[in-house]
Amino acid sequence: MKLSSVKYLTKEGFRNTWANRLMSVASVGVLVACMVAIGLAILISENAKLALGNLEKQNVVMAYMKDYTWAFYSDNAKDAKPADSSSKEKADKNGIKSSDYVIHTKEEAELLCSEIEQLDNVESVEYISGEEGLKSMKEGVLKDQEQYFSFLDEKYGNPLSGAAKITMKNMEYFDATLEKIENMEGIDVVQSHGDLAEKISAIKNGLAIAGFWIISILMIISLVIVSNTIRITMYSRKLEISIMKAVGATNSFVRIPFIVEGVLLGVISAVLSEGILYFCYRVATEAITKTLGTTDIIMYSELAPVLFMIFVGIGIVAGVVGSAIMISKYLHKEGSEFAAI
Amino acid sequence: MSGQSVDITSPEANGKPVIEFKGVSKTYQNGTHALNDINITINQGEFVFVVGSSGAGKSTFMKLIMREEKANTGTITVNGFKLNKLKRKNVPLLRRTMGIVFQDFRLIPKMNVFDNVAFAMHVVGASGREIRREVSKALSAVGLGDKARSMPNELSGGEQQRVGLARALVNHPDLIIADEPTGNVDPNMSYEIVSMLTAINKQGTTVLMVTHDHSLVRDFKHRVIMLDGGRIVADNAAGGDD
Ligand SMILES: Nc1ncnc2c1ncn2[C@@H]1O[C@H](COP(=O)(O)OP(=O)(O)OP(=O)(O)O)[C@@H](O)[C@H]1O
Ligand SMILES: [Mg+2]
Repeated sequence: MKLSSVKYLTKEGFRNTWANRLMSVASVGVLVACMVAIGLAILISENAKLALGNLEKQNVVMAYMKDYTWAFYSDNAKDAKPADSSSKEKADKNGIKSSDYVIHTKEEAELLCSEIEQLDNVESVEYISGEEGLKSMKEGVLKDQEQYFSFLDEKYGNPLSGAAKITMKNMEYFDATLEKIENMEGIDVVQSHGDLAEKISAIKNGLAIAGFWIISILMIISLVIVSNTIRITMYSRKLEISIMKAVGATNSFVRIPFIVEGVLLGVISAVLSEGILYFCYRVATEAITKTLGTTDIIMYSELAPVLFMIFVGIGIVAGVVGSAIMISKYLHKEGSEFAAI
Repeated sequence: MSGQSVDITSPEANGKPVIEFKGVSKTYQNGTHALNDINITINQGEFVFVVGSSGAGKSTFMKLIMREEKANTGTITVNGFKLNKLKRKNVPLLRRTMGIVFQDFRLIPKMNVFDNVAFAMHVVGASGREIRREVSKALSAVGLGDKARSMPNELSGGEQQRVGLARALVNHPDLIIADEPTGNVDPNMSYEIVSMLTAINKQGTTVLMVTHDHSLVRDFKHRVIMLDGGRIVADNAAGGDD
């Protein structure tokens, strides 16, 4: 196609939009509403994901090890190692021999930790010795409870085994990973909030599905709106189209101004939506940070380019597809037939 | 304009055939037999009146030439295009070899005279400079050189039809097709329009015009094809009385 035609057709597209301005304004309005709704859906779900992610990070698993304390507190010590011939070693004052437990030294404990760390779904592992555990527990509890723990400690020794503090990568595989850890040699019990993990991944899936449907439905609405506008423009310009066809315009020549119009509507709506969202989001986040004191909110600028691309994309797709649908309905008509519609 | 070969069947006055119908019939979807077994040749440079009573099939005949309708049987050749073999996407190429004048003028109300004519050139991708030059020439040719900036509703019926004529001429077609171009204008203006068509014809353009106006047919001595009930009932080379 020649440059002069491209210029002419683009101008015609703008002229269509302007000549039809009441309809254009109405459809831009509906498109903006759709895009803002899509944008809100994205912003809300991204923030929800962030919050859930933070929650997940706090969802640690404590795997307690079979060390001295374990032997001391459990009856397992006795049946773990039946008195056999090799038991020449002496029991200590509590009657526990070194062969009664699995993890003997800090090195062995750390080796176990690194084994856990090698599991696929494990994000990080931190070794917490019994002493550290007790210390943080004393810090975390109330005054009289602290006295209780100190009393226990003085009388019987530290009641806590060493533990591996584990965070996982993906909560979907939480249970499977948990089972692997539980079955490891040297692990006694695993303490977790599996139900929380389950809920979080259920919410995440729910969000993804809801987002998909919201966006699909709004996309379809956008498409219908744009094609309807194009239909009205075509109708109002049927005389021109019939003359164009009579003097030998190709179908693509007739088509282009309408596609330009559709794309123009989409792009205008995209710009407006971006602006409206920016404004609303700022107001909303300011209010939220003030009242809740959280600063863990996604900055609009992080998502702005993506949103803008999505909006322009919707605009272009709606413009091209919407006008194509209507045009193909009309363009089969020839010259005077077209004028008679 | 078109470069396809055509068999020369009738070595008539002005040259090779522009329009050829061989055994053409047209039956509309609803069963109306609009045309039956039409055989006719129109040569380059001829001026032909198509006459006949209402419903005789005149408009159908014109629509077959423009390829707005397709024949059911027979073959039609126009400006070298074999219409029964012409693909839909090539119809625009056929249309560019002809200029069409409508009974109802078909001017775009919100465009001025100049733009209404220029429109036909934009469609074929002409440049801005070409458009300015050719539109001015075409408007002068129909005597409307000073009305370029007028809007259609500021013109008389006859003037509007001259704009329609300028639009049909502006791309220099080989063939002018006009279905009752004088149907909506007063008798004086009708004469003027046919005079203009005659002048264009003198320069070698073939003109095919449907009319109900007997005085036009009588006064302008051109070939007359008369249709009745979908058949050609008369074909007088030199016009004249009914
Ligand atoms: N699109 C159509 N569908 C069905 N029948 C049609 C159609 N167009 C024309 N006809 C019929 O075909 C016949 C010929 O019509 P046509 O329009 O060719 O006549 P005409 O000679 O141009 O008449 P007029 O002088 O009134 O314009 C008529 O019986 C008409 O009713
Ligand atoms: Mg007719």
